[in-house]
Amino acid sequence: MPVSDLSRPGVIHDLGYRHFDGVREGTGTIARTLFVTGLRHVFGLGRSGKSKIMPFVLLAMSVLPALIVVGVVVLTGLDSLPVSYADYTNQTQLLVSLFAASQAPVLFSRDLRHRSIVLYLARPLPGAVFALVRWVSLTVALWLFMAVPTILLFAGAMLSGLDKSDQVTAVLKAVVLQALLAMMLAGIAGLISSVSLRRGFAVVGSVMALIVLAGVVTAVQAISADQDADSVSVAAGLFSPWTLYSGIADAWDAGIDELVPVDGAWPLAYVLVALLLVAGCLLGLVARFRKVGSR
Amino acid sequence: MGRPPVITTAGLTKHYGAVHALTDLTVAVGAGVTGLVGANGAGKSTLIKILLGLLEPTGGHAHVLGHDIEHEGQEIRRVVGYMPEHDCLPPDVSASDFVVHMARMSGLGASAARERSADVLRHVGLDEERYRPMGGYSTGMKQRAKLAQALAHDPQLVFLDEPTNGLDPAARNDMLSLVQRIGSEFGIAVLVTSHLLGELEQVSDHVIVLDGGHLLRSSATGDFLEQTGSLLVEVVGTEAERDRLGEALALRGLTCRPRGAMVAIDPPPPELAHEGAAHDLIRDVAAELGLGLMRLQPDRRHLEDVFLDGDARV
Repeated sequence: MPVSDLSRPGVIHDLGYRHFDGVREGTGTIARTLFVTGLRHVFGLGRSGKSKIMPFVLLAMSVLPALIVVGVVVLTGLDSLPVSYADYTNQTQLLVSLFAASQAPVLFSRDLRHRSIVLYLARPLPGAVFALVRWVSLTVALWLFMAVPTILLFAGAMLSGLDKSDQVTAVLKAVVLQALLAMMLAGIAGLISSVSLRRGFAVVGSVMALIVLAGVVTAVQAISADQDADSVSVAAGLFSPWTLYSGIADAWDAGIDELVPVDGAWPLAYVLVALLLVAGCLLGLVARFRKVGSR
Repeated sequence: MGRPPVITTAGLTKHYGAVHALTDLTVAVGAGVTGLVGANGAGKSTLIKILLGLLEPTGGHAHVLGHDIEHEGQEIRRVVGYMPEHDCLPPDVSASDFVVHMARMSGLGASAARERSADVLRHVGLDEERYRPMGGYSTGMKQRAKLAQALAHDPQLVFLDEPTNGLDPAARNDMLSLVQRIGSEFGIAVLVTSHLLGELEQVSDHVIVLDGGHLLRSSATGDFLEQTGSLLVEVVGTEAERDRLGEALALRGLTCRPRGAMVAIDPPPPELAHEGAAHDLIRDVAAELGLGLMRLQPDRRHLEDVFLDGDARV
């Protein structure tokens, strides 16, 4: 047996090969581990120091205005927050979109680009579950990104003695809406990143889809509202995740007022389109990972 | 080998449209090291992917470690390791972190994963460099890291796809002896592919030869290298001496042909077939001619011959 071929002169103790006879976790535990690792990686945790800069700078920028608002409310004793919870997210949409665009490639491009996806697929977790867990990681990361300033605002409101039940209702509505928004943003940015494997292209693609498109749709809405084409204005809102978010918030009385109220059958259409968008992105992601895995 | 086979396939077929990657492959793989030989495109990687449950076969059945590939892919992937042929390592992660993560993806707990990764990285021979990002690794180090992730969860079977690809001769030998250790000392069944036949001669117990998706031959390595009854003789001197010996032997009833600096002698005719007769004759002839005998050895077949036979058959 060529036992010593590979051992170095400095190695004194060679215990030989030891087998593992401990517990092997099931698929659920493996998926949870993958979820936690993915969530940490979005924020650069467990990665290089450099990769922590972008997510935390963006997070600080999105928290800073909330801190100022809280300071103003507590010091001056206003009787309401100058900006609603849901609207705060809407106002900082550039930061949220940038966060999604810049961090989605971490979860969706790297494994495909470096082909380490093959090593994942040769393990118990099926390819479809892998894609879904990656999406859940990004969704939760985005949701946390939006929830941190929301919770700060809520703490400020409580400190300055605003009506508790009003605030709790508003904050819960905002959190639910943010979750729906996070699902859409994670789906779109994830799908784009899984198709364009070069990080630069992925970021630019997501910026186009999330930021530029939202700008165009908002402009169309404003122009058509100005021309009294109300239904055009509301219908245009179906074409971007951000206007879907603000439209549903408007209909649900969550603190965002659209130029043209979203009412009648429109709220249902908005919710349906939002859910279809999420479902479509997930189908796309699963198909994409399956295809790459079988190559 | 009284144990049940590790892998069995029955009529396994995979067609990509008009391309026939595998055709009606029926084969059994036992414990130890099994070499899977074939030219590029012979269907080696396709077979491994089907056995892992990553590709669906067009037809046929296969069992890996007693699990049906069609319905129990997940059970198979839990106890099997896979080292792909191509690059598959993220450059910005250290081998240590990566192997721990991959062990956890195979279902090991956090502390077990760390312990096993350290063990396995030591066995494959990655020392201090395991803490550096893998982007800066040499090809040899990358191959070791790829092998480490395949062994991290202590599989019962590993698929090694071209593990010696791109390695220099020294690293190639290291890798081959490691493959042999995995099969014998570690007690893990190995299915290792290569397009270089000579490599697998050295390390495998059993060889399967694929050609254009067809099974050419499957048998123990010893059978491939069986002694053919031919002899090889080399004498001191140049080609002139070689030819003198050859002609003299031919006169005595042996069929000779030159092979390099040596004379290859076909299996001797019946009257010289009994033990040692041909050897004695060669010795005597060399002595008569005053030639110095340098070498007299049985000729062994090489795996390459299997392909030549196969071509002749086709």
